[in-house]
Amino acid sequence: MAAGPPRTAAEAYRPNRFVSLPAELDPATYDASPEKRRAEAERLAIRARLKRQYQLQLNNPNPPAIIEDPALVRWAYARTQNVYPTFRPTPKTSFLGALFAIGPILFWIAVFKADRDRKEKLIQEGKYKRPFSLF
Amino acid sequence: SEMSKDLMPGPYPRTPEERAAAAKKYNMRVEDYEPYPDDGFGFGDYPKLPDKSVHERDPWYQWDQPDVRHNWGEPMHWDFDMYIRNRVDTSPTPVPWHTMRKHFLVFLSTMLIMFGLGGIYPSYRPVGPKQYPFNDLYLERGGDPNKEPPVVTHYEI
Repeated sequence: MAAGPPRTAAEAYRPNRFVSLPAELDPATYDASPEKRRAEAERLAIRARLKRQYQLQLNNPNPPAIIEDPALVRWAYARTQNVYPTFRPTPKTSFLGALFAIGPILFWIAVFKADRDRKEKLIQEGKYKRPFSLF
Repeated sequence: SEMSKDLMPGPYPRTPEERAAAAKKYNMRVEDYEPYPDDGFGFGDYPKLPDKSVHERDPWYQWDQPDVRHNWGEPMHWDFDMYIRNRVDTSPTPVPWHTMRKHFLVFLSTMLIMFGLGGIYPSYRPVGPKQYPFNDLYLERGGDPNKEPPVVTHYEI
């Protein structure tokens, strides 16, 4: 069986959910095309505008008591108050909900019942040694 | 707080106009803005940023908040509090992750199998019964000092 074309270093590294590709192996680092530069310029413009807004508030002679970060407020709102309005029961969410909410209850019911039945059987057969407790 | 409703996160954007408005709201480019898939999990229109921890951000850039390496107004990752520098680190490792996992699993499984086998088939040095001096501790065991103790030999020639 002939081997295919040799694997690139990026493919040999196999980045995944836990570890990212180093910038040296990423072909996007070496791409200096005009599209990429225009995209970087637009991002820089947004960043500069936000920096300017922040610095104006920070260096204000009468600074406000707290410089509120709208990104932080939106993050907190999205994770707390925006979850219920945007939640929708789908097959996947229903299945996961049942698995994590009802699953453990049924599991522990089964475990405790089995343990109690085993102990009861031993007691009935007379093989169970009662533990000595001081309390 | 005092921010208006249209500056807050909302439902999943369906039309391109809603997407553009959401990108503008989150201070992102329209091409960069990608919401989480509409699976009903409760993400709404929050942007799906790359899953990279704060460790990977430039330590030498002048961030507005240097400890979390974040600028004012920049969209935060949904799992931002997981990716701070005290917690999960996704920065590239010198050895690929699958190699590390393979080495760890090989070592762990070897050790577990050997310990398991050692527990099932234990092996000790051969031992014999304990030998006591002074004629098998004749006097210490309450033997009569006036009588001759029985001679005890533990060897055979």
